[in-house]
Amino acid sequence: MIDFIIEHAVVWPVAVPITAAALAAMFWLRQDIQRLVSMVGLVLMLGASLLLLVTVMQDGVQARQFGSWAAPFGISFAADLLSAAMVMITGVLAVAVGVFGLADIRKREEHSGFHPLFLGMLTSVNGAFLTGDIFNLYVWFEIMLITAMGLLVLGKTRAQLDGTLKYAVLNLFSTLLFLLAVAILYGATGSLNMADLSRILATTEPSAALTLSAALFLAGFGIKAGYFPLFFWLPASYHTASITISAIFAGLLTKVGVYACFRVFTLMFEIEGSGLREAMVVIAAGTMLFGVFGAAVQWDVRRILSFHIVSQIGYMLLGLAIATPLAIAGAVFYIVHHIIVKANLFLVAGAIYRATGTYDLRKSGGLMRTNPLLAALFLIPAISLAGLPPLSGFWAKFLVIDASFQGGENWLAAVALFVGVLTLYSMSKIWIEAFWKAPPGVRQTARPVPVLMLLPIAALGAITVTIGLSPEPFIQYAQAAAETLVNPEAYIVAVLGESAGPGVEIAFDPATASPIIIEESVQ
Amino acid sequence: MPGETALIVILLLPFMAAFVAGFLPQTARNTEAWLAGVVAVIGLGLSLWLYPQVTDGGVVRAEWTWMPSLGLNFVLRMDGFAWLFSVLITGIGLLVVLYARYYMSPSDPVPRFFAFFLAFMGAMLGLVLSGNIIQMAVFWELTSIVSFLLIGYWHHNASARDGARMALTITGTGGLCLLVGVLLIGHIVGSYDLDVVLASGDTIRDHDLYAPTLILVLLGALTKSAQFPFHFWLPHAMAAPTPVSAYLHSATMVKAGVFLLVRFWPVMAGTDLWFLIVGAAGLSTLLLGAYFAIFQQDLKGLLAYSTISHLGLITTLIGLGSPLGLVAAIFHIVNHATFKASLFMAAGIIDHETGTRDMRRLSGLRRALPITATLAMVASAAMAGVPLLNGFLSKEMFFTEAVENHTGSLLDQSLPYVATLAGMFSVVYSLRFIHKVFFGPDAVGLEKEPHEPPHWMRLPIELLVLACLIVGIIPGITIGPFLASAVTSVLGPETPYYSLSIWHGFNLPLLMSIVALVGGVLIYLALQRYLSSGIEGPPWFRNLKGQRIFERLLVTLSWRWAKALEKLLGTRKLQPQLRLLIGTVLLAACLPLFMGRFAPNLSAFVGFDLGFATMWAVGMACAVIAAYQAKYHRLVALMLMGGAGLVTCITFVWFSAPDLALTQLLVEIVTTVLILLGLRWLPKRMDAPELVRPATLMVTLRRYRDLLLAIVAGLGTAALSFAVMTRPAFDSVSRFFLERAYTEGGGTNVVNVILVDFRGFDTLGEVVVLATVAITIYVLLRRFRPAAESVGLPEQQRIQADFDAEQPHRRPGDTLTDYLNIPSVIMQWMFPVIIVLSMYLFLRGHELPGGGFAAGITMSIGFILQYMAGGTRWVEAHLRILPLRWIGWGLLFAGGTGIASTLFGFPFLTSYFQYLEVPLIGRVPVASALLFDLGIFLLVVGATVLILIALAHQSVRSPKAARAPRPLGPVGGEQ
Repeated sequence: MIDFIIEHAVVWPVAVPITAAALAAMFWLRQDIQRLVSMVGLVLMLGASLLLLVTVMQDGVQARQFGSWAAPFGISFAADLLSAAMVMITGVLAVAVGVFGLADIRKREEHSGFHPLFLGMLTSVNGAFLTGDIFNLYVWFEIMLITAMGLLVLGKTRAQLDGTLKYAVLNLFSTLLFLLAVAILYGATGSLNMADLSRILATTEPSAALTLSAALFLAGFGIKAGYFPLFFWLPASYHTASITISAIFAGLLTKVGVYACFRVFTLMFEIEGSGLREAMVVIAAGTMLFGVFGAAVQWDVRRILSFHIVSQIGYMLLGLAIATPLAIAGAVFYIVHHIIVKANLFLVAGAIYRATGTYDLRKSGGLMRTNPLLAALFLIPAISLAGLPPLSGFWAKFLVIDASFQGGENWLAAVALFVGVLTLYSMSKIWIEAFWKAPPGVRQTARPVPVLMLLPIAALGAITVTIGLSPEPFIQYAQAAAETLVNPEAYIVAVLGESAGPGVEIAFDPATASPIIIEESVQ
Repeated sequence: MPGETALIVILLLPFMAAFVAGFLPQTARNTEAWLAGVVAVIGLGLSLWLYPQVTDGGVVRAEWTWMPSLGLNFVLRMDGFAWLFSVLITGIGLLVVLYARYYMSPSDPVPRFFAFFLAFMGAMLGLVLSGNIIQMAVFWELTSIVSFLLIGYWHHNASARDGARMALTITGTGGLCLLVGVLLIGHIVGSYDLDVVLASGDTIRDHDLYAPTLILVLLGALTKSAQFPFHFWLPHAMAAPTPVSAYLHSATMVKAGVFLLVRFWPVMAGTDLWFLIVGAAGLSTLLLGAYFAIFQQDLKGLLAYSTISHLGLITTLIGLGSPLGLVAAIFHIVNHATFKASLFMAAGIIDHETGTRDMRRLSGLRRALPITATLAMVASAAMAGVPLLNGFLSKEMFFTEAVENHTGSLLDQSLPYVATLAGMFSVVYSLRFIHKVFFGPDAVGLEKEPHEPPHWMRLPIELLVLACLIVGIIPGITIGPFLASAVTSVLGPETPYYSLSIWHGFNLPLLMSIVALVGGVLIYLALQRYLSSGIEGPPWFRNLKGQRIFERLLVTLSWRWAKALEKLLGTRKLQPQLRLLIGTVLLAACLPLFMGRFAPNLSAFVGFDLGFATMWAVGMACAVIAAYQAKYHRLVALMLMGGAGLVTCITFVWFSAPDLALTQLLVEIVTTVLILLGLRWLPKRMDAPELVRPATLMVTLRRYRDLLLAIVAGLGTAALSFAVMTRPAFDSVSRFFLERAYTEGGGTNVVNVILVDFRGFDTLGEVVVLATVAITIYVLLRRFRPAAESVGLPEQQRIQADFDAEQPHRRPGDTLTDYLNIPSVIMQWMFPVIIVLSMYLFLRGHELPGGGFAAGITMSIGFILQYMAGGTRWVEAHLRILPLRWIGWGLLFAGGTGIASTLFGFPFLTSYFQYLEVPLIGRVPVASALLFDLGIFLLVVGATVLILIALAHQSVRSPKAARAPRPLGPVGGEQ
């Protein structure tokens, strides 16, 4: 039994939440059971991610073929260090946000199917991290889009409908581009398995079709990830959702786009020499700058934070653009750090809302006096986001900036630095307005913030502090992950076996093969 | 206890105590003070105990592995210079704790104060004890953060908040620059270890990156030490409680900058660039700071500017690049810390006792506060450089260095004059401080009656003033050895000969001192009128405020530019967003084509078929007109979309893909019906003439531009699809599917085998999408109230109802039921037939066109017909399926089949097939994939029926709750 579980380690992070989602959907009218199913599912999912992480760290890349069809014919799931880390962080975040949700999600939203949708979205996120098949990745993106839409519109307010419409239209467009890119790629190579594609593309002459496919991938994922200048939907929609949902969106969803970029542009396409690097560098700088400028003019905490997502995404893309192992390691570290910190900031925003009754910084205030614990808990992710020591964000910025110097992109390092300063300014704005300033109204005995809200915030803060104080294991992990990304042999071998590939084993007579075969083969 | 342990205790103790202090109760003022005091005493004691090990260039070093993968070790390192700073930090820290115990009001959140204070002490100790330059940058930023919290301690004050934020922005930015600077140093040297760095002076100075590195490091140091042009944050930081000012803004934090300069002096100084930047910054700060200090009306403001000026003096000395200058700089660091801390504390006492720090209101306090007055006078005299006090000694050394010729540049030439002038200014402000506050007539209109503070509160000042005197009178035996060990640790063998005696004979520096003293007194007398006029700020420069420039810069950056950018790109409307998006993507798609000389394969155009082309022309026309009509006539658009769908369907047939055609057809039917149901509830289109504005030229242009964009994008996509579909056939995985579908998948319908077996996992994903869509629609419509304008009966039904009402023998609704009588009977009878058909499609799916998805859709068509025949109420009364359950079961079935295979030791979703003899039907292939397909079937039925119910149920909703329509304005609502 134990062997069985370990053998399928790569499947559980998807199988567990989808089962829980189905169960939660079946108990539609029983909120208590839904909560139970949801919490048990989340904890099991965390366990599954942990199992996967340990297995990958011990035994290297894990791969399973669905339906026992040898890769590249069936669908493969594969987990290398990056995937395992992403799944792990998803598990952690899901539990934290799930617990926060117990205190924040309203009855009305539970009646509207929060639990099945939430679990479904986590399924898709994990699926996207684990799949080794580019079309299957598309399927996960689709599920993610649809469940996210469902979650966004849960409260059915006017603002949410408006935000959801924008979210849906622009993201559907992104999936369309993604599909187009996959189609071109399939047309050019005849395979969908990413490891197989990596093998084939390494020996294929660069062609316009492939470059086009790469450009479309970049654009499609770019919309998802919120790259400059394709990010409009993000600040237009994220803040409309309930804060629990915003938190998980902020932490995870854009990062799935970033992850997909990392996967596609390390495993399949070369960044060097194809013009992609130059494009990415410009996009990265634009993303960092616009995001932070966009944040500066906002007064709604959630909008400020949403814009900062955009700006932080730029740092990750920066790492990918420079593409040295050091830079990619920095970016991987950045992703993990950022997921935790950003989700945590959204949770704090939720707690601020609970205490003051508003997200508008101009109207809130006085929390330092009324809720010093919350103030301390805000300080951790805020300082970390701004990249000040001794928290996780400092090391993340340190690695990325160091890598850009070593990669010879000095001006990018300067941009990164400048953006860091403005981020610090922005965080101090939230701090001063919400915590230090006396509240403008006459009232204000702040409402208490429930323990169920503070607990996840504290837990995520503890992770941030841990990473900050002893970053060594995390940096080592990121470096190892970057190593496997830059040299994907281990990944390819794990998925394909030592000498697998189409055209090798299949002796096929082209004369009898035509795409319109069904009737013929029936006889 | 070995030295290493002592170092780590010195560093960690304040942090741990800070953590503890943060959790002590509000009222525990004494406990807090005791805690902080004990920590400071231990730190001081351990430092003193370590002294023998750091004399003569000795170094205590402790190293722990920290981040080997980055080549970073956690190194604590105490040499003579770091020792001097540790003693200053812990010693003055101890005095400030004692002072703060009496200064802080019980109503303040004292635990927080002491927690921050201790954390600051720890950060500062970490900074000076760092043996690793990255670690140094870490503690550097930590001091910025904690000082932010300390300056904003009285956060109910707007000025405290602004001052804190300004300090954080300036020093934090400087810290980031410093970080990059030390990164570059590490890059140049190949190590971050301070010892290695200190040994590689020539490598650094000769490196190409020396200039940027130096500038970045200096940005860090000069911002922290409030040097011109970054000096303006310091006066604003005076909003902090006075103990904070006494500690941070005289003795410790602002000294961090000069500490850093001295630290890197051996490896970076001595170049022209160093002299130019550091010297110029120091000299201008020295002069401007002193000049501004004269004209302050706030006691602490005066002290702040004088601090700036004295820091400028130290910076100038460091900038000279001569070893003797460095000796003087280190000496003055210590001297300034002692007299300035005591002066801040004295100012705090005055504030505490009188309730104001405004010099315009203070007067004659020597009578009420005789002891404090005496102490402040001595300390001010030290600040002014009066002989027999420590300030005199270091100022003499400064003058000595000033008259020396260093580089011969203009800057160097002007040095003696500037130095004397600044000396005069410092005499003026010291004199003003004493004369205005302690002499003259008694002050009137004070909030409190001033009297001497408790003795314990005055004790720290007494001790500091005592130190000023002792050092000033017998420097050689008091400060001498300690200064020597500090200087030796920095300069090593380069240590010059220097003399600490008071009397060097009649020489030029002494003359300069005398000139400064006399000139200062004269200037003060001359300025009496201007000063008594009560104008805040100096003449000429009053309007030149660094802080205002800083604010303007920030506003420009963070508001104007940001606004402009947001206006340009961050539009909140969907249409411009889409336009930008599509434009960008087009650009992204075109670039590689132009770069890669794209040559389309035109040979695929052979085999042109007129019939097929006509059909597609019709299909395209349908699609285009549908898009055109979507805004004005939704029904027409929907019909035309159906037409386009039909063409797609026929295309599949044309290319002999019956399974796809079947599925496409069924999906077309169901979606059309569902959208039709939805259309009923959309508000009517705006066709009232007064609402349709005439299109302006701009609007017309915009529309044509959008049209062009749409055409280009559409054509491009079509061309792409065409190119992909007509590519020359070659090896791909699809051959494998064709070959193995029957032999290994057990089905002759390759499409179905792909769907349920080869790529069954994708199918599972797609049905999850369907289920989610269904649930979302259900959720959205659960409490849906139709818009008021669409609540009324449709026109057709209204006419029918009117007709019923007019005829006496008819009841309302009769026509509706009557005219559907025959169809409804047929439809109801069709239900079992459709169920059988759906079963048939389901079972044969693995071999022939059909399958779980098609069967599920067919089944739902049966339900749709029931709705048409019987009406919503009838169906809802008779419906026996719970769609949500079906969805859940479907998901569990499909997923469960997959998991079941793992239980037999096969990977997830492995399918198994076997032929089975069924009576009457014969040999039937049974694949486990069939069970998977069953799950798909259940889920599709559940999902479609759920959508159907959700939409159809609207018609039985009572219109009473419908709200009056509101215009959909901007929804964010923030702006």
